[in-house]
Amino acid sequence: MGQFLQFAINGLMSGAIYALIAVGIVSVYKATKVVNFAHGYLIMFGAYFYFTFAVIVPQAAWAPAWLASWQPDWLVAAKADAPMFSPLGAVLDWVSNLPRIILGISGAVIANALLGRLVERTLMRPLMGQSIFAMIMVTVGLISILSGASSIIWTADAAFVPHIAPNTPVRFSIGDTMIFLFGADLVNMVIALLLFGGIVLWVRYTKSGIAIRATAEDQSTAYSMGISVPKVFSRAWVLACTTGAIAGAILATRNGVSPTLGLFGFSVLAIVLLGGLDSYVGVFIAAMSVGVLEAMTQWKLGGEWAEIVPYVAVLLVLLVRPHGLMGSKEVERI
Amino acid sequence: MLKIQDLHLSFGGIKALKGISFEAVPGEITGVIGPNGAGKTSLFNAISGFYTPDKGSVHFDGRDISGLGPDRRAVLGMARTFQNIALFRGMTVLDNIKLGAHTRLNTTLWQALRYFGQARSDELALRRDIEERVIDFLEIDHIRKLPITMLPYGLQKRVELGRALAMQPRVLMLDEPVAGMNREETADMARFILDVQEEFGTTILLVEHDMHMVMDICTRVVVLNFGEQIAEGSPEEVSGNPAVIKAYLGAAA
Amino acid sequence: MINGNLKSSYGSDERIVNNGYKQAFVYGSFLCLAAFALFANDYMILIACQVGILLVAVVGINILTGYTGLISLGHGAFVAIGAYAVTILHNAMDGIVPDALTALIAIPVAVTITALIGIIVGLPSLRVKGLYLAVATLAASFIVIFIVENETFAGYTGGVVGINTPVPNLLGWELDTKREMFIFISVSAVLALLAGQNLFRTRVGRAFIAIRDRDYSAEILGISLLRYKLMSFALSAAYCGMAGALFAYFYARILPEQFELELSLELIAAVIVGGMGRTLGPLFGVILIVLVPELIKVTASVVTNGDTASTRIIAPLQEIIFGLLLIFFLLKEPLGINHIVDRLIRAANRWPFARG
Repeated sequence: MGQFLQFAINGLMSGAIYALIAVGIVSVYKATKVVNFAHGYLIMFGAYFYFTFAVIVPQAAWAPAWLASWQPDWLVAAKADAPMFSPLGAVLDWVSNLPRIILGISGAVIANALLGRLVERTLMRPLMGQSIFAMIMVTVGLISILSGASSIIWTADAAFVPHIAPNTPVRFSIGDTMIFLFGADLVNMVIALLLFGGIVLWVRYTKSGIAIRATAEDQSTAYSMGISVPKVFSRAWVLACTTGAIAGAILATRNGVSPTLGLFGFSVLAIVLLGGLDSYVGVFIAAMSVGVLEAMTQWKLGGEWAEIVPYVAVLLVLLVRPHGLMGSKEVERI
Repeated sequence: MLKIQDLHLSFGGIKALKGISFEAVPGEITGVIGPNGAGKTSLFNAISGFYTPDKGSVHFDGRDISGLGPDRRAVLGMARTFQNIALFRGMTVLDNIKLGAHTRLNTTLWQALRYFGQARSDELALRRDIEERVIDFLEIDHIRKLPITMLPYGLQKRVELGRALAMQPRVLMLDEPVAGMNREETADMARFILDVQEEFGTTILLVEHDMHMVMDICTRVVVLNFGEQIAEGSPEEVSGNPAVIKAYLGAAA
Repeated sequence: MINGNLKSSYGSDERIVNNGYKQAFVYGSFLCLAAFALFANDYMILIACQVGILLVAVVGINILTGYTGLISLGHGAFVAIGAYAVTILHNAMDGIVPDALTALIAIPVAVTITALIGIIVGLPSLRVKGLYLAVATLAASFIVIFIVENETFAGYTGGVVGINTPVPNLLGWELDTKREMFIFISVSAVLALLAGQNLFRTRVGRAFIAIRDRDYSAEILGISLLRYKLMSFALSAAYCGMAGALFAYFYARILPEQFELELSLELIAAVIVGGMGRTLGPLFGVILIVLVPELIKVTASVVTNGDTASTRIIAPLQEIIFGLLLIFFLLKEPLGINHIVDRLIRAANRWPFARG
């Protein structure tokens, strides 16, 4: 039981990250009907941007010293007093990293938003109103471009980045089982859930969110009702890329920055289809379930088996429910 | 031949068909008429197997075919055309009509990959057959190599009829065969439909808005209004029926 | 210039190679292939073999995506299944079946296995359209590669480090040089193209196109979507399986990473670039997809003189150009190279009159 709870919680934490990645795919799909196969690679760019602004830039010769490691007097004093390996020590280390973490996150978000806009303007916009097949295949071509570009720009080696939150170990017990977690993972989960919830609410209640939903229903009608469909398209892409940047930063802290991050996109794509492509709720449930399933697989069968869990799950679910758990079925008029 | 019994169909809360029952006259033309939204096309879609009715059945040759998919019904000898022309637009007229003969051929995948031998002789026999029975018959020999997209609307309708004829159907269902045509084209099409009925003895079921044509060529007419069957009978009976007049011209008439 | 196209029998009207130009092209190509096998240098043979192997697979993808309208992003896995099946079969039959017969048994069995697995993977295609299938095939391909790499089956597959492949022996003719393999590969590729073309002269191929263009209309003509979609899937998988078999025979060793996403993307890109749903589309596409990266490599090695720091960027550069090519064709010439060739031929035909 104890093990089970521990793995279930680990699963929920990675499930939340999946959900955050998935929200980008779903939003772009809702607005443009395009399934973005390259989303994982946009996330990888987010991770590399975070790496650039949180590691490379602060370590550059021209960067002020406080950017790489902030050491005000009070902090140095507090650190000297803190016992070794204590939670307080971890928090204080995090405070020293804070300037570069903030620079990293904001840099990644801005750079990725620009990237998303660029992709939308140069590749997607010319195909607007044409076949969805072409648009989807353009995102497939984008995979190669992004993957090649990243290994030219950043070299292909894996690298490490600072955690977004203090990475202090957290111990607590549920019933009579001890649960052991890292603080950073917990904060990541909270960030992911807040962003996910925020986007769902935004799409549901704000004017621009409603424009996205209207466009999803019927592009030409939305256009004729005064909604600027191109603007909706580009907004959806920017939204996907900014959430992707944060997801990328989180993934970078968990797995290190490496070209393999792009592959995450494919397992999340599987999750999105599992949940039902246009349903935020379905996708959320799917992300959490796959996260937990993966953790259980890891526990019972070993780490490498976990990587095919989303794929096996999506194939099984599609056989029974062709439009995913909660996806809407397209009704065809004859 | 084709018998519809107490057919009910609904989409969500909307009842599209409420208890339709009639029988197509074998070897003759039966017309289905009704104002817009009366459920004529829904009826056709239910008969050809795209919609599963909530209740009721479709009998073909005394056999209940309600559970069969559209492709199985086609194999049994049911052909249809669509209101908004469902030809394969990228293909030539010839290929479209050849596709109509799909169920009459037996070429297997293996034979197809080799082509020379059985597949070739099948294809040549088919070509001769449709040239003589369909293309000559419908007078479309001058356009046989043209892609559908290059044809005017009226000819597309005729090609779609040709594709259905290539199936050598026993029941032919025509969904608004003259919609959007001028008088001359309508007369041509009516002549072709009558020719089909006379030459091949095909049972024809026809949905149409053009009253003159329906009254001229149908031996029996079924009238639908808001999913209900309000009249059935010979053209004369139906055109004198007060319920029909009311449905078409409004209550005051 | 071709003026009339008049025929005296339906048979001659149904022919594909129906004029002197086309005949000259076909027989000329055969002559060129024969001359190539005799006189080309080893490097050219190597490249031509790569083209031939990929071509067999891409003809299969063309049937599935180009003609039936079903997208797959995972057909690299079927190439893997073909390659591994042939290798494992050879190992299993070693010493039991005479060498001269092994390949003749292994190839059809491997192709059949691939086709059967294709049917299983294709099952979702019956219920869903378009991109669902793309993701389903992608998922299936990850699973296949995972199984190949997994330690549990490493005894058969060699696992991550790969496995040595057999040398084929066709009734006593041992294909132990690349040149001999080229003959085998080019014959297979020509037959693959021919069979692919034949298909679309019959009701089977027409049914595929009908499903692509308007599936409900196909159904109304008595075409069972279930049967024909699965048939298309099995057939395309079989073609990929055959390509896999050739792949295994051609290279001395196969590794799971050779069949990953990159290969699947190359296959689909070749169809799009070459021209979907056209007989020669795969040929044009494959030539471009193989030659362009090769050209980059050669140019780079000339420009940099083998400087190691700059050779590092060759592989990513090839990747980027590949993606750009795909996107360029999607945006600017969605009908592919085949369409460009069509236009050139038409212009040549009408010369010296107006182009068009």
